[in-house]
Amino acid sequence: MIKNWIGFYTLSSREILRFFTVWKQTIIPGIVTTLLYIFVFGVALEDRISEIDGVSYKMYILPGLLMMNVITNAVANTASSMLQMKLLQTLPELLITPLSSLELSLSFIIGGTIRGFVNGILILFICMMAGMKIQDPISTIFIIFIVSWSFSSLGLFIGQMSDSWDQLALIQNFVLTPLSFLGGIFYSVQMLPEWGLAVSKINPVFYTINSLRYATLGVSDAPFVSSMVFIVLFSLLLTTLAVKTMESGKKIRF
Amino acid sequence: MNEIAIYINNLHKKYDEIVYAVQGIDLSIRKGEFYGLLGPNGAGKSTTINAITSLVKPTEGNIKVFDRDIVSDFRYTRSKIGISPQEISNDWFFPVEQLLYFQAGFYGITRKDAKERIDFILNKVGLYDHKDKKMRQLSGGMKRRLQIARALAHDPDILILDEPTAGVDVALRHDLWNFLQELHKEGKTILLTTHYIDEAELLCERVGIINSGKLVAEDTVSNLKELTNKSKLEDVFLELTGRELND
Repeated sequence: MIKNWIGFYTLSSREILRFFTVWKQTIIPGIVTTLLYIFVFGVALEDRISEIDGVSYKMYILPGLLMMNVITNAVANTASSMLQMKLLQTLPELLITPLSSLELSLSFIIGGTIRGFVNGILILFICMMAGMKIQDPISTIFIIFIVSWSFSSLGLFIGQMSDSWDQLALIQNFVLTPLSFLGGIFYSVQMLPEWGLAVSKINPVFYTINSLRYATLGVSDAPFVSSMVFIVLFSLLLTTLAVKTMESGKKIRF
Repeated sequence: MNEIAIYINNLHKKYDEIVYAVQGIDLSIRKGEFYGLLGPNGAGKSTTINAITSLVKPTEGNIKVFDRDIVSDFRYTRSKIGISPQEISNDWFFPVEQLLYFQAGFYGITRKDAKERIDFILNKVGLYDHKDKKMRQLSGGMKRRLQIARALAHDPDILILDEPTAGVDVALRHDLWNFLQELHKEGKTILLTTHYIDEAELLCERVGIINSGKLVAEDTVSNLKELTNKSKLEDVFLELTGRELND
């Protein structure tokens, strides 16, 4: 339970201000990358790939691109903030304050969530400018928020468990990026062979992309309600993991 | 004056199930006391300090701050302590003044309530004119002063200083000594670790000497000199630790 509300607010603000002070590294790259994806995959390949589920290829890939951007930013914020604090020796000064593990965890998670959410909303505007018409705006906003929260929690866990930037990069390059790409950003999983379809269904990113695809375009490879239930449960699981790891003090208290 | 500010009972800390950094330390520091914890490198000073602040989990033993347990009553005990760590931390993102506001905020103090105190501390440590600078723009001595300012941001009753004058020039060291003496006169309990024995001799009312994780002596500076028949605390230290300084 949160008791030190001022401390909680202060650390949450710090985490949000931290990424805004370096907006050229935390906001701009996601936008540039998404525009490049839209150009390369959407514009250049659109004539060669026919519609998927009755939606043009350019439109089809937009929710996936948005989700990939949200996931990358949310994870990066908490993971890099935690690891940076460890390496620069600022973490011990935070750990000795009267903030509980829950307050610490949630403050970090809020920082990452806001970064993922801000990036997501900016990409959403780009998608709208590219011609996307959103079917269900409330669900769209909710999905962007909850996915930011989930992966911000995951980032906090990864940051706490990592000892170096190399370890962090390893997880991002060999776990998160493949999960994102194999979650159906650029294709419908129905195009995959039987085994590929089965593998996709155990990939959490698949449900995040498909729930957003349904909320924005009205098409999906997975039932919308079950995808939403999955991402909410996934969020609770990752939040618990992050808070419990913080409580354990593993790799931060000795 | 008899109230106990820090009470350590039978503190043991074993790292990696093999090495004992601290082996059965018992320590009581009175409220308002200026206490020096001396010892060679690796003797267990920082482990003891980190155990008080809960950065280190004791393998055995318990610690109380103003008679409250540091684990079950962590909000109270941590709010009573300010620490200036041995390692200088580097927060690249924010200017000096903002860092102090954050520090006060973590302890539950609003920006409005913290303003007067932060201005006072910035003046005291000579950083007021540098309050808009980021840490990378500060000299080593300024960074050290900022560490102390951060420790004081929430006006703690207990100040723990882990080698606060390491890497600081002579003039600044004397300034810091005067400042610490002022804080002591105000009634703050100060726990100091230092490799400068003359610093401990000048400032501390009582000194504990720690060696290989054990408290080998504890008394006033004059009593320690008398007991060991030495004229300088540095000689007492060498006699009791049996080692060269700064090995």
